[in-house]
Amino acid sequence: MTTASPARLEVDYAGSERLTMNMGPQHPSAHGVFRAVLTLEGETVVGVDAVIGYLHRCHEKLAETLTYAQYPSIASKTDYVAAMTSEFAYVRAAETIGKIEVPKRAQYLRVMAAELQRVASHLLWLGTWCMDMGGALGGGATIFLYCIRERELILDLFESLVGARLLYGFYQVGGVRYDLPAGWTATCRETVDLIDRRIGEYESMLDDNPFFMARCQGVGVISRELAEDVGISGPLLRGSGVAWDLRRADPYSSYEDFQFLVPVESSGDCFARYGVRMVEFRESLKIVRQVLDGLPEGPVSSRPGLKSVAQTRIPKGEAYARIEGPRGEVGCYLTADGSAKPYRMKWRGASFSNLSVLPHIIPGHKVADVVAIMGSVDPVFGEVDR
Amino acid sequence: MPESLTLLIAPFVVLNAVIGIVTYVTLLERKFAARMQSRIGPYRVGPHGLLQPIADALKLMMKEDIVPAAADRPVYNLAPIVFLLPCMFIFATIPFAPGLGVADLNIGILFFFAISGMEIVGLFMAGWGSNNKYALLSAMRAVNQVISYDLPFIFAALTPVLLAGSLRLSDIAAAQDGLWFVFYPVIGQLAFIAFVLSTVAAENRAPFDILEAESELVAGFRVEYSGMKFALIQLGEYAHILGSSFLGALLFLGAWSGPGPEWLGPGWFLLKAMFMFLLVTWIRWSFVRIRVDQILALSWKALLPATLLLLLATAVVVVWRANGGA
Amino acid sequence: MAAPEVQTVADVRALRDARRTEGTEVSVIVRAVLGAMRMTLRNLFRKPVTVHYPDKTRVYPDRYRGLLALVYEKDTGEEACIGCRLCEYVCPPAVIKVEMLKTEKRNYAKTFTLELYACEFCELCVQVCPTDAIVMMKSFDLATADRRELLLDKDRLHAIGLQHERSWATGNRLRDMQGPPKQARTVAEHTPGAAPAAKESSEA
Repeated sequence: MTTASPARLEVDYAGSERLTMNMGPQHPSAHGVFRAVLTLEGETVVGVDAVIGYLHRCHEKLAETLTYAQYPSIASKTDYVAAMTSEFAYVRAAETIGKIEVPKRAQYLRVMAAELQRVASHLLWLGTWCMDMGGALGGGATIFLYCIRERELILDLFESLVGARLLYGFYQVGGVRYDLPAGWTATCRETVDLIDRRIGEYESMLDDNPFFMARCQGVGVISRELAEDVGISGPLLRGSGVAWDLRRADPYSSYEDFQFLVPVESSGDCFARYGVRMVEFRESLKIVRQVLDGLPEGPVSSRPGLKSVAQTRIPKGEAYARIEGPRGEVGCYLTADGSAKPYRMKWRGASFSNLSVLPHIIPGHKVADVVAIMGSVDPVFGEVDR
Repeated sequence: MPESLTLLIAPFVVLNAVIGIVTYVTLLERKFAARMQSRIGPYRVGPHGLLQPIADALKLMMKEDIVPAAADRPVYNLAPIVFLLPCMFIFATIPFAPGLGVADLNIGILFFFAISGMEIVGLFMAGWGSNNKYALLSAMRAVNQVISYDLPFIFAALTPVLLAGSLRLSDIAAAQDGLWFVFYPVIGQLAFIAFVLSTVAAENRAPFDILEAESELVAGFRVEYSGMKFALIQLGEYAHILGSSFLGALLFLGAWSGPGPEWLGPGWFLLKAMFMFLLVTWIRWSFVRIRVDQILALSWKALLPATLLLLLATAVVVVWRANGGA
Repeated sequence: MAAPEVQTVADVRALRDARRTEGTEVSVIVRAVLGAMRMTLRNLFRKPVTVHYPDKTRVYPDRYRGLLALVYEKDTGEEACIGCRLCEYVCPPAVIKVEMLKTEKRNYAKTFTLELYACEFCELCVQVCPTDAIVMMKSFDLATADRRELLLDKDRLHAIGLQHERSWATGNRLRDMQGPPKQARTVAEHTPGAAPAAKESSEA
């Protein structure tokens, strides 16, 4: 007999007494501040209660008090690991309402930034996931440091482009804020080639590794039906056999100009999602190379430079703009009222919807698997709690 | 030199040497691991971090000794000592050069196995005495794991014993004069691999260190220990790893044999032991860990039958050779 | 939207199997384990990426967003800030407070406070400044034990401006990067010391 309640799904397990264990908001396998109240029978988890909200910073209310020129600098704080894609959703929503055209060069630069950010985000995912599974004193830390070493290269690229390493403010309504400095393309190409080689190294370390496969094969299986029922997106969806990628299904910002593959795996376990993300690495690097090869000349913004805070006024209207972030569909629903500030902003965080799958897939696994599953779901709590 | 004086001096020297080497072996591991991760290890404390172990030891000595209120005091306080003593005793039968050792018993290796099995008692006492759910859980897992892997460890180590024909460690070392046992065709290599695997698992090193998994059981059975007691437990762990490295170097890598004059023997021995230690460390820092049920499955379903078969095969080979085989 | 003719969906397992070499299960496992250990060994011999800060600092890029500072005009040596308060209005966390002082010739800032402990380093104030008065430095070294030292007043801001190296980005340069077509010039022309490499803007 399985009882299902909105907050908790419990698996009927004919065991002895049940133990409630709290994987508290602070735990060493930190993906942010996440509290999971696990109900255990022996070593097996029979129920998961996810408690979120520890990182709530009222972004949606904040967006009502900041103008369209100011907010993109703050938008990076939602998904801080993939800051570029967070800003992307907001400016696209504003541009959709105001029917603002974005010059071709700006579109290409946006794509390049988003794809480089995807690589950086996946590098962080791989590092932290292996560290969760392997321990800070062990093989996990080794892979973590390799991934961070490569991520630093991408952050260096962003630093020479924008000036900052994490909260960029690169996107603005009408285009992007910065153009490429001299010599940046050469450095970018070198970095992309280097990262391509290093990803080959990670694959050789992990792909057939029996320890790694023992930890993630068959663990956290999201069946195709479940994937289509629950509102997950991104690599979780593609790892369960659904070939859905917004860059292909609903192209935006010139994604239709680029050739890239969308990886799909059918088994739906952690290993499948790992495979999907590893292929996404290479595809993103492919897109970056195509952008660099075909970057058109032109202005980087259709709006003049910022001269006053209320410069950008968006006429009345509402729009929902979504982009394919590293974690899934990041969406921004804006209601504009003709002034320089939006009337309402609703942020669809990819991780928030992805977390809804946890009560379905965790019960039945051992405690050690909870960590592996959480890592492969790859939540970022800035997005979840906003 | 009168016998009684030698009996007093030798253990004293060996004990101090072991403690000294153990503290610096932690630094070696940290630097080695750091270099594998594209960073440098301790660097600031002393030139290239050479004073780091001393700083750590001083820090641990000066730390407050916090005892949990509901802990079982006698058990809690005794556990580090019960854990440490066997880890020190294993050095008793290891000869560092022909004739240079504390006690070259004629059942040397048996003594090693027996004594190193005693530290499980200390481990469990630590987990029990802490009065902490997670420490107890981890201690139970550790006992499970160590016992499961002690068997393949013994069988893998018995292969050189069979090949040498004696339980006395100096005999085993001497029998490798011509050919180190690790180079013995097929049997030597397989036994070496099994030995290394069992060592890694029996000492709770990654990839078999689920009981210290920071994600759920931070520091495992040692979680309630701080200060000098924690230092003793760390000392015991690293002494055990070092002892197994020495044993491995002796059983498989020819102990003190090496080019150069006789008195360089202990130096070669140390080098080989460091090689074994670095091998274990290299494995530790390369792999993610596996779950406890997978660890036990690996031992009982794979490693134990394999080492048993290997032992049988070695016996067959030895008898065949003794009967004048080609 | 034109869909490219190439295959757009990839089967991950097929890609991985294509990469994998043949072998029995045991040999695959052994090869994988040894491969992982070989990778760590390889990294053992690579140069560590550690920068020995603070003995050595890394090179900060031209556009680095570091500490904020007020600057003096190059030719006259007077304060560049005219107290227009545009930076105060644009700052998202509202850390800048300016009071204007009007004289016959020009306006000044009577007081200018910047709460560095709340600053987000977003560079919007730099971008909006009409006289390039507020800029960011190529340094972030201002860790203190006292939070009050991070409440920068006008004198402090001017001192920082003289102390460190300035970032390339000033208000006019940032705005020029984004103009409508007729204002866009190659960025290379703005980079000090760099040869103009990119082509001119195609739309005049």
